[in-house]
Amino acid sequence: MSDAIEIVALGGELEISRKREIRDAFTLPDGARAVLVDLSTVTYADSTALTELLRFCVTAQRDRMPIAVVIRTRQFSRLVQYAGLAGAFAIFEDRDAAVAYLNERVKP
Amino acid sequence: MNASPQLRLRCPAQSRSVAPIRHALRAFLQAIGFDGDCLDDVTTAAGEALANAVEHAYGDDAESVPFVELHARIARGKLAVDVSDRGSFIERERLPGRGFGLRIIRAVAPQIRIDTARGTSVRMRFHIPKR
Repeated sequence: MSDAIEIVALGGELEISRKREIRDAFTLPDGARAVLVDLSTVTYADSTALTELLRFCVTAQRDRMPIAVVIRTRQFSRLVQYAGLAGAFAIFEDRDAAVAYLNERVKP
Repeated sequence: MNASPQLRLRCPAQSRSVAPIRHALRAFLQAIGFDGDCLDDVTTAAGEALANAVEHAYGDDAESVPFVELHARIARGKLAVDVSDRGSFIERERLPGRGFGLRIIRAVAPQIRIDTARGTSVRMRFHIPKR
């Protein structure tokens, strides 16, 4: 994986009682050229997590920084669809595919 | 007497109350035969209603009693899940950060009604999966 790709990882239940932690985690790392958001170990998510994820991705897009999000939990995937955000992020079930997507976009 | 199973929980309207209530609802649903996507969808919708209640129900209304209540039971051939609080109703879809909650509930629950006569009650009805 390219050194230019930073990883933001969260796991467990991403819900309202962790709002501050989620918001703090979703901060663009200094010096990064791309970010892998690894949510592969999330077991449940609510709209609090979704809102913070969207905020993070919008900020990254404004800064022209590519982001790939890894989501494996079916509940989380369905939540994204229900919120109408399926096209808002580059979402992958497989981490390697997410890394390949980012590597394509950080090539010199 | 042949009473229908039901779950009624009343907790402080705090964000840390949401997960335990949701876990109890999930266990109740599993006990009455829900699984897979149906199980996930009902707990997702209830989780959104609970999060809305604890985050926005009370605001500056110091006269309100700060609690949130969940009542789940089988009624008229459907699963009924009501999430109630005594806070002032807020057009929550318009509030920053909670714009997706009601959208998700509406996408998941075949029937939803919001009563604001005394506090706010989000009344959701779901189909019962066939065994």
